[in-house]
Order: sequence, then structure tokens, then C-alpha cells
Amino acid sequence: MKRSRWDALTARQPALFALILLVLSIVINLILQPHMFARETLNSNMRVFLPIIFLSIGQAIVILGGGIDISVGGIVSIINTVLATRVGLDGSTERMWQLVFVSLLAGILAGAINGFFIAYLRLQPIITTYATSFLYAGFALFILPNPGDGIPANIAALYRDSTPLNLPLAFYIIAILLLIWLYISSTRYGKFLYAVGGKPDAAYETAVPVITIQFGTYVISGLMAALAGIAITMLSGSGNAEIGGPMTLNSITAVVIGGNAMSGGVGGVAGPVMGAITLGIIQNIISFANINTWWETLVKATIIVMALAAPGAINLIRRRQP
Amino acid sequence: MAESLSAQKIVKHYGGVVALSDGNLDVHAHEVVALVGANGSGKSTMSKVINGVVVLDGGQLLLDGNPIQFSSPQAAKKVGISTVFQELSLIPQMTVAENIWLTREPLNQFGLVDRKAVNARTEELLALFEGTFKTDLHPDSAVTSLPPDEKQIIEILKAISFDPWLIILDEATASLDSRQVLRLFELVAKWKQQGKAIVFVSHRMEEIFRIADKYSVLRNGRTVGAGNIKDINENQLVKLMIEKESVLGFLRGEAKSDQKVKKEISLEAENLTTESLRGVSFKIRKGELIGIGGLRGQGQRHLLHSLFGDVPYSGTVKLFNKEVHFKHPRDAMRNGFALVPGDRAKEGLLYIRSILDNLLLPSWRRYGLPLKVDQAKKDATQTGSSLNLKMAGLEEPVSSLSGGNAQKVVIGKWLMRDPQVLLLDDPTKGVDVGTKAEFYSLLTRLSEEGKTILFYSSDDEELVGLCDRVFVLYEGKIRTELSGKTLTKENLIAASLGVAEREGDTQ
Repeated sequence: MKRSRWDALTARQPALFALILLVLSIVINLILQPHMFARETLNSNMRVFLPIIFLSIGQAIVILGGGIDISVGGIVSIINTVLATRVGLDGSTERMWQLVFVSLLAGILAGAINGFFIAYLRLQPIITTYATSFLYAGFALFILPNPGDGIPANIAALYRDSTPLNLPLAFYIIAILLLIWLYISSTRYGKFLYAVGGKPDAAYETAVPVITIQFGTYVISGLMAALAGIAITMLSGSGNAEIGGPMTLNSITAVVIGGNAMSGGVGGVAGPVMGAITLGIIQNIISFANINTWWETLVKATIIVMALAAPGAINLIRRRQP
Repeated sequence: MAESLSAQKIVKHYGGVVALSDGNLDVHAHEVVALVGANGSGKSTMSKVINGVVVLDGGQLLLDGNPIQFSSPQAAKKVGISTVFQELSLIPQMTVAENIWLTREPLNQFGLVDRKAVNARTEELLALFEGTFKTDLHPDSAVTSLPPDEKQIIEILKAISFDPWLIILDEATASLDSRQVLRLFELVAKWKQQGKAIVFVSHRMEEIFRIADKYSVLRNGRTVGAGNIKDINENQLVKLMIEKESVLGFLRGEAKSDQKVKKEISLEAENLTTESLRGVSFKIRKGELIGIGGLRGQGQRHLLHSLFGDVPYSGTVKLFNKEVHFKHPRDAMRNGFALVPGDRAKEGLLYIRSILDNLLLPSWRRYGLPLKVDQAKKDATQTGSSLNLKMAGLEEPVSSLSGGNAQKVVIGKWLMRDPQVLLLDDPTKGVDVGTKAEFYSLLTRLSEEGKTILFYSSDDEELVGLCDRVFVLYEGKIRTELSGKTLTKENLIAASLGVAEREGDTQ
């Protein structure tokens, strides 16, 4: 029963791989962009990464609970179009905060719809959220058929340019989210989440409220998608019904890079957060390496596929040796 | 604490199938009741009725004489009824401590799980089985990394962690080694003294007679007999379970021909080494039935799997004096090897596919292109009937079969290839007595036909009764080889525990 050291290490620290990848990408980025840690550069990077970080946290919790949420991009689009059309380029600050509140409720509602179908009606998560992703994306297009409108520049600046104590706003938000996770993961709810994701039948026999927990993960994911939608609207300042679409795959990729098992029950939230930052940095590296935009998607996808395949490849090589 | 539970005239259908038509069971404090019956007789359903996993269609449950209904397993738990499930209810990704205390975690004043308390209480429970673990088991071990016997022990500890008064042990000893069974039985005796009641579901006669006070026999969903264990003997009990003649008699006293000694050597291994084997060497003659014994997890599985090309190994293997080194099960199959794996649901069968598909899976290559489906079906039907397979039809899914019949399908799919070397990994685990007897005569017949058979079993009686020679594995090596007069149960158990070599060892 000898297990290799790498196995033992990654079993205890699933986020280790994400950390290595993060450090590696930071080093490469530093070579290409030596002033990466200057306040302005750091802030302009982090504010771009934050929406995906929100999504990845929500996605991580759904995947930990044994599901998957493909509709998060659609929810982001709804929030973005609602804010852009209802606040408007010259709306008041109060109006903005009212609509932020409405956005959070909308995210929770969208998550609850997913959760209802999956936890209570027992539909396949991947099919259900694939279907609702069209529902949400279609709704966003209905609200704002053509890109336009937006929120006032001074409100956007709150998000874009706040650097309390010379640190980007995003750092504080990430720290708060990680602290909340740290708390939740050591409560009973946290244990239930891992149990439901690990083996739902066994959890049921042990009196874990399986359905409530599953439902809850989608509500959390909806809420995080709403936060991502608010963040990306304040970042861009304008509305675009197609803004969320490409973000879904990124959120799933971040979770996988972060060391969480797609089958559920293994991993955490810190890994996916690092995964999301890594993805953002890879994007940076691509643009700094002067790669033609035609190649950008291909290069990015190749890096992601290699990152995903690495643990499997290591295993394969080891299995070959008797 | 309650004093008694009584199940009366229980009826339970699953769709059109009647699982229980007249099930009765009486359990009192300070008592161990053995619930026995062949596979498919309704034992599992009976325990699921008592622990609230299924809702009854008729009859009633009385707790201390008062009618009671359980709407869920939780309701049964509330009145102190706990089950050690056969299909483990553990969550593999979580730790030992997390699993044992799931939903009952001690919390501190901030609503956080109190890790110290959890670990301390887990240590207390683990201490009950101290000294029987092969791995360095502690509260933070991940369940997925444990061998099956230790998982089973964690399952037992989980069931007793909330101090129930009635404990249902559903085949709980099936994956334990003899030392662990012994410890469990000591605990059962202690619980009995404390006023607990135990329902013991098992296929192993010897264990039933060791610890049960009472018995209750189910046959085809009906309780056909109950009483004090001291008023009955093994043969009478078996007779109650099956309508056919007793089968255990088959085992002992079968004359073993020594003609085999003269036959040529078919399979030879030298210094076979893998992760868990440390240099295994042997020579087997054609037509020999070789048993592999020992405590669980001493490398038996690895030995069979490495011979089948499933596990990489170093060392030499010779088949009829020609060296072979299989790197893939396909190589082994081409050379006439067949492996009946230990976990039939996971490794042996495609559970939701039909019996026909399962039987034909290893043999499709023989039926050409385009496939001669009719010929294949004919062959499969023949194999099915030669094995006396009880089924509604070849098109039915394997999942509709009982454990014993499902195992026949696993063996049948290999017999269709007419293997020369048959490797079996505990094939009679969870199989009823009637089917076991059929297996025994099948194995004897195959060895008489000149097949070489390597047979691992966790049932010592089987090894002693059936095999020509038994290799006892201990820590990845053949410690002892038993045959002829030395092949007795006492010697086998002693060798399994490594007693002879380990005297004076303070372990």
C-alpha cells in the first residue's frame, strides 16, 4: 500500500498544483512585464480578474456538491443588461445601489430555479443548466438587444480605482470571501457539502439533508454570478448581453486547475481562486508576448488543456513503471 | 433503552416481486439473533424493514409491545436502532472521523465543528479494534485509502457511535479477517451484557453458532423456523434454509487423487514481486486446484491480478515451461487465462447490460465479421443452462439477478472461452449455500478436466475442504504451503496469523 509522495501531497493539498501553476505564471508575467506589482498595474489586473474569481467560487461550491452550473454566464449577462438599462449613463448613485440589491435577488432567483430542477425534480445538472443558460442569455438579449447604455463613470470609478491602503479593492474582497469560506467549511454545513458531493446515497442514509444542500449550492452560485455581473458592469461601465457567455468555461477551468475533482467532494475554494487568477495572468502573458489575436484563443486553450492534462499525464508515466 | 422489538407478518413487494410475504422476527435485549436464509430469501429486506429504509406493505412492528412506524432511517435511529450496512454508507473522500460523526458533529460555541472533541471521541472508538489494523489508522485518514476490512470496521464504529440499543450487523464479517472477527465478537458479547440486542445476518454457519443465542430462518420471504441456537445443529439449520439436501457435507471427505502429482507443471512463478508482493515462487501442475489463504490484504489480490497482466510485476512466470510476461489482460486471455475478480459489481459485470451481453463480452472476437449473433446466442444459452442459471431470460439485465446467480454469469463468461488457467478472487463471497455447493462441484469438475485453478478465498473451510494445496500468504510472501495431512483449519489459521514464525514477537 505504498503511495507516492506526490499522491499523498495532492490528496491532502488539492490546491498545490494550482499554487505551482500560479507561481509559474507570475514569474513568466514578471519577465514580460517587470512592473507587474506596481500599484496601478496590479489594480488594473485584479479588477479584471475579480468577476471570474466570483464565478469560480460559486462554481467551486456547486462542483464540490457534486453538480455543475453552466448557466452562470447567462446570469452575468442578465445582471449586466439590467444594470446598464435601468441605471443608465446618467443615473443617480441611489438608483445604482437599489439595482445592485435587485441584481443580487435576481441572481439568487436564477440559482434557485436551477436548484429546484436539479435538487427537487432530480434532473441532470449539466442538461438543466445548459438549458437554463439559454433561458438566461435569451432574457439578457431581450432586455438589451444591442450593446449600449451603461452606468455613470463616477460609480464605475469606485470599482475601478479604489485602492485602500495602496492595495487593490479586489484583494479585500477576495480576503473576505476566503474568510467566509474558511468559516463555512468548518461548520456542519461544510461537512454536509463534502458528504453530498462525495456519495449522496451514503449521505442520505446518514441523515444528511441532501436535497437542501444541493439546492443551496445553486443558490450560492447564482448569488456569486450576480456579484460577478455587478463587478463586470462596473469594470466596463456599459451593457452587452453577450458579456457573460465566454465566462462560464473559464469558471469551470479555474475550478479544475484549482484541484477540485469534477466528480465532487474533493477540493476547496482557495484553489479555484488561484486558478482564476492564473487564467487571467495567462491571458496577460498572451497579450504581452505579442501573439497575434488570431492565435490567442488557440494558445490559451492549449495552455488550459495542458494544465488540465498534467496530473493525469504524471499518473500515466508513473503507472508504466513496475 | 427499549427492551424488545418484534416484527410480525411483514409483507413487502418491490413492484411485482414479493420480497417478504410473512416475515417475523423477535429481538430482545441481552440477545443475539441470527437472521439466516439463502440469497434472495428476504434477509436484507427484513433488516431494511427494521431500520426504516423501506416502508412496509403489510404487518406491523412492535417496540416494547407498542405499534411503531418508521418513515425514514432517521426515525429508526431516534429509537436507538442502528445498522451496519453491507454496501458501505461511508463517504470515501472524507476522513474517518468526519464519516463517523457526520450529522452529529460536536460543535463549539461559534457553531464550528470541534475538531479536538471529534478526534478524541474517534480515538476512543478506534481503540475498540486496536491492534487489528494493518495500516496506520487515525481519525484523519481518508476513508478511500483504507483496505476493505478497515472500511468495514469504520462502518461498524459509525453504527455504534450513537450508542444504539439494537444493532443490525448485515454481513458485517464478510470482509473482515479472523482476528477482526474475533474482536467484533468480543464486543458483541460486551454489548449483550450492557443490554443491547444484536441482529446478526451472515452466511457463515460457524460464526452463527459461535455468537448467536437465537435463530430465525427465512425462505422465499417467509419465516420458516425460529428458536434457540442450542436446540439445533448446522445440518438442521441448513435444511431449513434450503429444500434441497444439505450441501456442506460435500466439502469434507472428498478423496483427493494423488494422480495429479504425476502430471506436467503448467504454471510456474519465480520471485514474483509487485508493490505488495515480496518475491512469490511456486509450481503448479496441470489439473491442480490451488487455494490461496491468509488474512485479508496480504497480497492475494495482487498475485491473481499480476498473473492476469493487470498489475505490473517483476520476476518470471512460465506457462508450460515457456516464459510469458503479460502486460495487459488481453495477453493473458490469449494464453488461456481467466480471472473472476473480487468485486463482481464493479469489475466482473456490466451491471445494467443483459445477461447475454455479459456472457459474450470476452468472446465476441470468435464470432467473426459480421457477427454470427445466432450462434453466439446459442452458445450463451448453453453456458447459462449448464451453470443452472436462474433467470427470467437472457435479455434481462444482470442487475435483476441474485448475488449467486450474478457470480455464475461472471464464471460463465470465462467458461465460454474454455480457459486453461482459472484465477478466482473470493468467488463465494456473499453467495448463498446452494450456489456455493454448485461452485464447489464446478471447480472440482474443471480441475478434473485438467484446468489449472488458483483460488483465493476468505472462507477457511472452503480452502481446506476443496483444495489440493493451499499457499498461505503473509506480508506478500508464501509463508506456508499446506497439503494432504497438514491441510487443516487449525494449521491454516495459525499460518495466516504468522504464528509459527512469530513466536516470541511482542506484537
